[in-house]
Amino acid sequence: MKTGVPVAVSFVAGLIMVVSFFFNEETTKVGGLSQELLNWLIIVGGFTLLLGVVSITRVNWSGVRQKKEGWIYKVFTLISIFAMALPSLIPESWSPLFGRSAGSIYDWLFVYLQAPMMATMFATLAFYIASAAYRAFRARSAEATLLLITATLVMLWRVPMGEAFLNLFPGNIPELINTYVMNGANLAVQRGIIIGAALGASSMSLRIILGIERTYMGKG
Amino acid sequence: MNIWERMQVIDRRWVYLMVALAVIIPFIIPMKFPISITPETQSLYDAVEALPDSSNVMLVFDYYPSTMAETEPMAVAAARHFFSKDCRVITLSNIPLGGPSMAENVTRLIAEEYGKVYGVDYVNLGYKYGYVSVLKGMGQSIESIFPTDNSGTPLSELPIMDSVVNYDDIAFIFEVADNATADYWIAIVNAGYGVPMGVGATAVMAPKFYAFVGAKQIVGLLGGMKGAAEYEILIDQKDAAFKGMDIQSLVHLLIIGLVVMGNVSFFFGRRKRSREKS
Repeated sequence: MKTGVPVAVSFVAGLIMVVSFFFNEETTKVGGLSQELLNWLIIVGGFTLLLGVVSITRVNWSGVRQKKEGWIYKVFTLISIFAMALPSLIPESWSPLFGRSAGSIYDWLFVYLQAPMMATMFATLAFYIASAAYRAFRARSAEATLLLITATLVMLWRVPMGEAFLNLFPGNIPELINTYVMNGANLAVQRGIIIGAALGASSMSLRIILGIERTYMGKG
Repeated sequence: MNIWERMQVIDRRWVYLMVALAVIIPFIIPMKFPISITPETQSLYDAVEALPDSSNVMLVFDYYPSTMAETEPMAVAAARHFFSKDCRVITLSNIPLGGPSMAENVTRLIAEEYGKVYGVDYVNLGYKYGYVSVLKGMGQSIESIFPTDNSGTPLSELPIMDSVVNYDDIAFIFEVADNATADYWIAIVNAGYGVPMGVGATAVMAPKFYAFVGAKQIVGLLGGMKGAAEYEILIDQKDAAFKGMDIQSLVHLLIIGLVVMGNVSFFFGRRKRSREKS
């Protein structure tokens, strides 16, 4: 029962999506079925977000109650969740501080706290990348040397100062990089990756629809 | 321990200090090197420029706040270009974490510059879960997916939506993304409904989209902050990305310098070790 029902649901839903693709979605009922299922997905997805909030609240609240290690951070997590969520859920008609528009509490917290904090965390990557590049990016083999030269050329090409440097040499190197590296080798490789990933996704979808792939249920 | 070996075990905090200086110095001493326009940016600009005035367009904010430094200048430049052509701009996001807020703040700010009115000249549809369902659903009816705007106002009460039912009424889509949602816009909306699209992506993601430019699935591409700076130059509104180019230039050159130094010290250190062995 625990396995059979999800597999049957996957099979029926997958079959509807595949079959309806071949029918006109505006003029036939079969064609419109796929959108109906996708609408269900939006509704179910909304509940999964709610489930996420309930889950994170339960986990953190139990950590706070039991005074587990780092419980004070869990308090901040809980405060943050509800400080952001509650004012945004109250209708804007009550007060301009509520809702999600510009000038609301939610917007203020997002613009002045969340966005700068996330940007700061991401920006610290520059320091680690510089340090890692210095320590690890070595021309140990022919392939590594090729990668190193290409990366250096592309990094120079992508910034004005580097481009000015490349232009000191004859032969319009920036244009050559754009033509042969980005629109040549890179493009060919990217196409291969995209087509390969699409084929992989198709085969995985087929495995799920046919019930061969069951890892989404936590089974191997 | 000779100089080469000492260079290999340099304290990483020196590297951090160099990066910090490379970021700070251009703020004090601007360098202003010329920025050339890549064909991908030029073709995106040309496609937007060729739109008839007052066209309905979509500007999609599919980026997280963490990459704002790269992506927001693209969104700002795109909004300026659209408003300068009196396009009616429909914004939305497939990012739950702040996407609608970023759309709200950017478009309100730029709309004020051009004297545009919310609900008449632009609208923020907000966020809805499940981008595949959302993108496909808007092909039938935008209102069925987004019955209200981000503030809860029914779309039927907004004059801008009077002439918009689905993708058939959208002349162009400008997707600014730092994640895989851009792929879905191309695969579902461009391939399925034939709406012309342009993409602004982070520098890390940009190489992937050259394949779509080559296949003419997207009309053009803004790659990272450089792409945004190029677009700012084209619309004659030099702003954040243009200013950021000096910093990015210096940091790129610093990293290249560090890689070269690291390799030189590695080879000379290895040569010394092999001499000592023999």
